[in-house]
Amino acid sequence: MRAAEVVEVEGHIIDSLILAKVLDVIVDAGADYRMVDVQIGRTNVDASRVRLEITAEDEDALGALLAELQIHGANRVADVDAVTETADVDGVLPEGFYSTTNLPTQVRMWGHWVDVDNPEMDCALVVRPDGRVRTVPMHRVRIGDPVVVGRAGVRVQALERPRGANPFEFMNSDVSSEKPKEQLVARVAGRIKAAKATGGKVLAVCGPAVIHTGAGPAVADLVRAGVIDVLFAGNGFATHDIESNVLGTSLGVPLGDGLPPEGGHSNHLRVINEVRRRVSIAGAVADGYITGGVMFECVQHNVPFVLGGSVRDDGPLPDVYTDVVEAADAMRALLPGVAVALMLASTLHAIATGNVLPAGVETYCVDINQAVVTKLADRGSHQALGIVTDVGLFVSTLAHHLLP
Amino acid sequence: MCPPEHFGVLYEINPWMHREVSVDLDRAREQWGGLVATLVEAGASVELMEPQPDLPDLVFTANAGTVNNGRYVPSRFRHPYRQPEVDHDVAWFRANGFEVTPLPEAVAHEGAGDALPFRNVFLSGYRSRSDAAAHGPLSALLGVPVRPIELVDERLYHLDLTFCPLDDRRALVAPKAWDRYGRTVVEALVPEPFVLEDDEVLAFCANSVVVGTTIVMAACPPRVGRQLEAWGFDVAVAGIGEFLKAGGGCRCLTLALDVAIPAAATPPPSWGTAAAR
Repeated sequence: MRAAEVVEVEGHIIDSLILAKVLDVIVDAGADYRMVDVQIGRTNVDASRVRLEITAEDEDALGALLAELQIHGANRVADVDAVTETADVDGVLPEGFYSTTNLPTQVRMWGHWVDVDNPEMDCALVVRPDGRVRTVPMHRVRIGDPVVVGRAGVRVQALERPRGANPFEFMNSDVSSEKPKEQLVARVAGRIKAAKATGGKVLAVCGPAVIHTGAGPAVADLVRAGVIDVLFAGNGFATHDIESNVLGTSLGVPLGDGLPPEGGHSNHLRVINEVRRRVSIAGAVADGYITGGVMFECVQHNVPFVLGGSVRDDGPLPDVYTDVVEAADAMRALLPGVAVALMLASTLHAIATGNVLPAGVETYCVDINQAVVTKLADRGSHQALGIVTDVGLFVSTLAHHLLP
Repeated sequence: MCPPEHFGVLYEINPWMHREVSVDLDRAREQWGGLVATLVEAGASVELMEPQPDLPDLVFTANAGTVNNGRYVPSRFRHPYRQPEVDHDVAWFRANGFEVTPLPEAVAHEGAGDALPFRNVFLSGYRSRSDAAAHGPLSALLGVPVRPIELVDERLYHLDLTFCPLDDRRALVAPKAWDRYGRTVVEALVPEPFVLEDDEVLAFCANSVVVGTTIVMAACPPRVGRQLEAWGFDVAVAGIGEFLKAGGGCRCLTLALDVAIPAAATPPPSWGTAAAR
């Protein structure tokens, strides 16, 4: 059981090498540290102040190390309980609310550190009557909810970066089109297998390009084989998936010969219209209107999906959430148990998903456009690994690795 | 300085002190008087405080506190034996027009015994008698950067047994008494250090009083004397053998009141300012 504590050291700790010594003492003791807060004086007459989170093998090792560090002036930061304030309007947080990250977070209540149940970025922390702490998006807060305010009594853990053996270490964070793809896909397949072996779920977030590039059948195979457990997409992806299976075209272009037929531009509207007539995608499957494809396999194998709507949508399909708040809530409801997320050629749904994913979920963002991958990381999903390649090639190679 | 009327070795709080060793009080008075005379002859003016019964170490005024620019930071003694000295020290400094600014209660620091000015900073010894954590608050109170140095030899329990600043460039140093970080810090700070041999250190050479260009020492081994003369200093030896029985040398018996390092240090910024994240 690893044990952690935050210590603070201040003064002229740079020129006196006290900081260097404190860090050396920690490392020599076989413990690890993370700089939680650093304020270095501008010149050598300005004092500095550093807060370190120290992680040791167990409580005993930590206690011995803390005693040694105290000699050098690094003292434990006095722990205080988090402060809460009661929400006084539905859907409005108290001023000064603590704004969350997607990292594992702990809140100190009644002298104990309590893990936050469901880390999610840009939310508030609400203390439940049973003492548990949950992240709650702004719109879901209710009058009377105790909301954590200020930063006192809240601590965030950086994800441990495994040293050495991590197969992805060689390309940590860097997005590049220059990486060997075949090897990379094999490794993603390995990570998926490892996650599935421990009961983790795989989430696929799909953009319409998955269908346009001809990767639809491979994704459908992955759903049928039970590799993909949850699907997030939009009206476009589902529509083109159904269109390609019912009419053999994607946005009017035949996936077979690629030559646009007369009036093909209205194909997707006709498909949406027919599904609307049958009330839902499941209804259209039951009716025999849809006989294959990703959405068909989802219905057949009870793979839950959320289709998030947009202002630009045609139709939309009857299953599409037209209320964005409801859509995000529906996505959140499907996240427990998800261990791997595949963002496939989707900009907006990938970012939307990134917003609700805890940082602990392994995330692979596949796009032909490097900017999409970078954007996801810029929006706070630092755990996302970018793979710049054609999604059609990626998915078929992945299916090749994962399916018998 | 404080006359040794009540001096003695009544307890043991450093490896030099042995209660079975008796102090010859008459001899101590004589030696102390000789030291005062030597200092005055070198050009110093000496202020006295009242000796107090049951406070044998009050004679070691170096530990009364840290002084800079008319400001006085009282010591916080680690050992309960010496803690009652503080009230008398504070009373003297108040009566003599110093601004008295105390350290936080949680930290120990033994004044000029552990804090010595060099150029524009103070070096401050820690581990045995003073806490490393004291250096931040001390810096804020003195208005001067304070660099803590770890003392690793328990015989050399105060910084003033291991470091003697002579002028802006030179100092007598005992690097073996410091850990490797401390050695690096002093090396970077002092352009011309003179490294004392072990026996020179244990003869309290570093615990000397500098008055202008005169160095008042308990003993002056030939090698040290030659170097000091080569640098243009005059050496005056003041025998203070009775006080060595308590682990104190010339410098321990004095506290410089005219320290004036220009205030420059700023306190550490608090959390939550723009830079903090």
